[in-house]
Amino acid sequence: MTSIEVQQLTKEYGTGRAVDDLTFTVLPGRVTGFLGPNGAGKSTTMRLVLGLDRPTSGTATIGGRAYPTLHEPLRHVGALLEAQAAHGSRTGRDHLRVLAVSNRIPERRVDEVLEETGLASVARRRVKTYSLGMRQRLGIAGALLGDPEVVLLDEPSNGLDPEGIIWIRELLRRLAGEGRTVLVSSHLMNETASFADHLVVLGRGRLLADTPMREFIHARVEPRVRIRTPDATALRTALAGHGYDAVQHEDGHWTVRHARVDDIGRLTSQAGVPLLELAAEEGTLEQAYLDLTATETEFTAQPQEA
Amino acid sequence: MAFAPALHSEWLKIRTLRSLPGALLALFAATTAFSALAAADGSSEPDFDPLFTALSGVLPGQIAAVSFGALAMSSEYHGGALRLTLASVPRRGRWFAAKVTAVAVPALLAGLVTAGTALAVARAGLGSAASGLTTAEQVRGVLGCGVYLMLMALFAAGLTALLRSGVATLSLLIPFILVVSFVIGDAAGTVADFMPDKAGQIALHQTYDGTLGPWSGLAVTALWTVGALAAGAWSVRRRDA
Repeated sequence: MTSIEVQQLTKEYGTGRAVDDLTFTVLPGRVTGFLGPNGAGKSTTMRLVLGLDRPTSGTATIGGRAYPTLHEPLRHVGALLEAQAAHGSRTGRDHLRVLAVSNRIPERRVDEVLEETGLASVARRRVKTYSLGMRQRLGIAGALLGDPEVVLLDEPSNGLDPEGIIWIRELLRRLAGEGRTVLVSSHLMNETASFADHLVVLGRGRLLADTPMREFIHARVEPRVRIRTPDATALRTALAGHGYDAVQHEDGHWTVRHARVDDIGRLTSQAGVPLLELAAEEGTLEQAYLDLTATETEFTAQPQEA
Repeated sequence: MAFAPALHSEWLKIRTLRSLPGALLALFAATTAFSALAAADGSSEPDFDPLFTALSGVLPGQIAAVSFGALAMSSEYHGGALRLTLASVPRRGRWFAAKVTAVAVPALLAGLVTAGTALAVARAGLGSAASGLTTAEQVRGVLGCGVYLMLMALFAAGLTALLRSGVATLSLLIPFILVVSFVIGDAAGTVADFMPDKAGQIALHQTYDGTLGPWSGLAVTALWTVGALAAGAWSVRRRDA
């Protein structure tokens, strides 16, 4: 299968470095979330991978080959870069036909991806009549046109309605499930957390993290357990006996920090504390991300707009 | 990547944007109408040239040809369209050649049809005043006119790729065409004769008395066009998309 390999990639514009000595690999069979604030270099990296911009140094390849050397590239790599790329005066269907013929993709694929992205009913309307969400779907349809084994999507959930966001999540999961290589950039944490298996995090053009998402969160967010009990004294005694630190909240539930739900469950049961509720409080990607960026001195010194 | 699919794609782009066939239709309509008007206006002037009178509709009509070339190229410079294009055809030189061909062929065909029609309509209006025209002169006029219009469309397309903007190209070229043709055009200095539009227009005359003849004049226009296309190709190949 095909990976995206980025090796010591650097891109300078004037005096600034949009991408700074970046090295990572995007593997097939999973959704890789490409995270970072606006201006972190995500879109630039994607353009470099697609051979649209020229790197100052380093290389970006797909399955070991530079993108411009691919024969009929849309059959190997599908990309969504900008939702505004389709000409407003063309119909959605004609926009896709133009792309299809350039790579000898059969015309039936045009109708298939229109169906798949829910655009079949508006396919013969001009793109300027489309909402942002529909343009986004058209861009995704273009990316899927050649049935590619590598899919790069830049902020695909922009402008999508809640239904569309669920759709894109399921689409990404399915594409990865079919063994494709899926790289999806976003600056929305909760959104990324809902579909990504793996994370590549950028800040100011540099690589901040390249880890599985669960690991990323667990390494950075303390595990917590949420408890409700009618017998506060018994609970406090039992927890204190094992060195746990518990805080009671106004509505009566307790939070035990640095604790796993398995341990607390066993402990309270042995101590005979009556429980009304016992749940693990999962750390969120947002918490982990903020923790990561807080440790980056550059971020705290010059916070970026997000 | 072969050339044929890229050309097919570019041809489909031109067909599926209403403004582009519209520009060619405007070329036909404006040229024919102005030629008919010029013919009806009569042959009283002392330096009357029946061939140029019959084809004079090209002077305003060429603005439509220039717009066609500029619009066909400038549609790539909106909203990141060029990125999508180059992602599907990453060999940039090949893509540019496909785009240029897809502009050149319809412009040439529309130019030939337009010139032929304009000549026929104007001859009907001129009557006996046009009887001095030989067949060879008429064929040369129509062929030259078609080639001239194609070259002007390509000149605009090349400039648009260089400037990355159709608005910039048109706001440069249209005043240029109007100024050169209608203001300093009659005071035919040798420099004006070598301007891209003025040089090619010699082919539209029955008689000519400058340094350039009809074919050498078109060759000068072709040089300008090649220059603009080379600059455009350089820009497409060298710059980040």
